[in-house]
Amino acid sequence: MTFFHYIHRDTVLHRMDGRFKLLCMLLLSLSASFASQLQHYLVLLFVVTLALLIAKLPFKALLKDLKFFGILILIVFVVNAFNIPGDPIPNFPITSISLQGVITGLRFAARLTIIIIVCAVLTGTTPLMTLRNVIEWYLRPLPFVPEVRIATMINLTFMLIPLIFDNFAEMMKAQKARCVELRKNPIKRINFIVFPLLNQTLRRVDEIAYAMEARCYSEVRTRAVFKSNKIDWLLLAICLSVFLFVIL
Amino acid sequence: MALLETQDLTHIFPDGTVAIQNINLKFNEGEFVVIAGANGSGKTVFARHLNGLLKPTKGKVLIDGEPITKNIVETRKKVGLVFQDPDSQIVGQTVAEDVAFGPENLNLPVDQVEAVVKESLEAVGLSRLSTRSPHTLSGGEKRRLAIAGILAMRPKIIILDEPFTGLDYPGVVQVLKQIIQLHKTGHTILLITHELEKILAHADRLVILHKGKLVEDGKPEDVIYRSENYGVRMPLRDGEKVAALTWLK
Ligand SMILES: Nc1ncnc2c1ncn2[C@@H]1O[C@H](COP(=O)(O)OP(=O)(O)OP(=O)(O)O)[C@@H](O)[C@H]1O
Ligand SMILES: [Mg+2]
Repeated sequence: MTFFHYIHRDTVLHRMDGRFKLLCMLLLSLSASFASQLQHYLVLLFVVTLALLIAKLPFKALLKDLKFFGILILIVFVVNAFNIPGDPIPNFPITSISLQGVITGLRFAARLTIIIIVCAVLTGTTPLMTLRNVIEWYLRPLPFVPEVRIATMINLTFMLIPLIFDNFAEMMKAQKARCVELRKNPIKRINFIVFPLLNQTLRRVDEIAYAMEARCYSEVRTRAVFKSNKIDWLLLAICLSVFLFVIL
Repeated sequence: MALLETQDLTHIFPDGTVAIQNINLKFNEGEFVVIAGANGSGKTVFARHLNGLLKPTKGKVLIDGEPITKNIVETRKKVGLVFQDPDSQIVGQTVAEDVAFGPENLNLPVDQVEAVVKESLEAVGLSRLSTRSPHTLSGGEKRRLAIAGILAMRPKIIILDEPFTGLDYPGVVQVLKQIIQLHKTGHTILLITHELEKILAHADRLVILHKGKLVEDGKPEDVIYRSENYGVRMPLRDGEKVAALTWLK
């Protein structure tokens, strides 16, 4: 999957100050959730698609991965279309679908699409460590919040998830090679996967913890320095105007 | 005084497994020591005691004559450990980020972190890959990255746990060259392996563990003929000298 993986390029968005980027992406996601009229969606779609192009992320590969989200978006659409009461659509054979339902469904589908693209741009242009440092920076002023610990935890979680998936895929293949399909009892089959996977994951976590300790893991650590420039402010201003355009 | 010393080092796991037993060893500055032993002989457990990752059931480890527990951070800076499985050692999403992890833990100022990362990557020849994702590196490059991550802490002693497992011929040569280079630049090297044929020519000393006990410790040319008693393959053919035991041309 290319989605949600950092892809190194040299673009404005890659160079952008992480703090500004996170804020911009939050503003755009919020705008998407508040958007109500067609022109709102069009503007938002335009902005995020532009961001995707500027970031030089592999467009085709992303579209391919979007299929997976496509199902999700479709479900959101269908559930809405059927469940919102209202007038039936003229000349349409299925009467349980209402016009209002279709419109609401489209609305939710558009929101979801925009938010997914926003996430793809954010994760595609920002290394995890930067994201971690940004979160730490935002949490720092809050009292009683162990910001370094939270940031490290987020970091490790994001790092482990792909490892667990890879591991799972490997184990499935290895078990298929030994004809696990012939086993008809699903509970048994789940057992063959879940326990070894859990076991391996815990082992792995143990190893990572040791490796971090061997390199003197400490919560009093070098703080990232962020540098912002005019472009960062400009991009923030653009996102802010989009946000204001949507809510006003 | 020895740089690193273990006294009566014993580790018994909670399930009763005696992993290592009464190990007394001294390592001197600048030495190149190969530690060999069959699977399960306690090599990894031993290594993890040398920088305090495991606590001994009995006995102790001394660095410069002082117990390592006296200043554990200082110990871990001095004693760098490269793990058997390089994947578990990687915490960064890019090569440079991963190398920075250690110096950032030491709370060095940002410019110093950058400098030491640059220097460490140069030392292992990975500078041009600094923005790559570590998981896309080849086996040999991954090992060298793991070494760079340790070098960034500026250790005096470098322990490498099975650095050749899973590497092809060029991979072994890359890593081997790197290790010899580290020794030349003044590091004390403790190398754990059972593949003596790849490295022994470069070592000053060969130590063999067997079922958790120290059974041999001496010059490679003296010890090697007894290695097969302890499940470590004796790689010399008739008339060959220890100097032939290297994969470097
Ligand atoms: N967490 C643990 N709990 C119980 N026993 C353990 C644990 N870790 C290791 N052991 C046992 O301690 C002994 C020494 O293990 P160690 O990993 O040090 O061997 P090794 O010499 O490194 O072997 P290898 O060549 O396979 O890496 C083995 O018998 C092993 O089963
Ligand atoms: Mg081992």
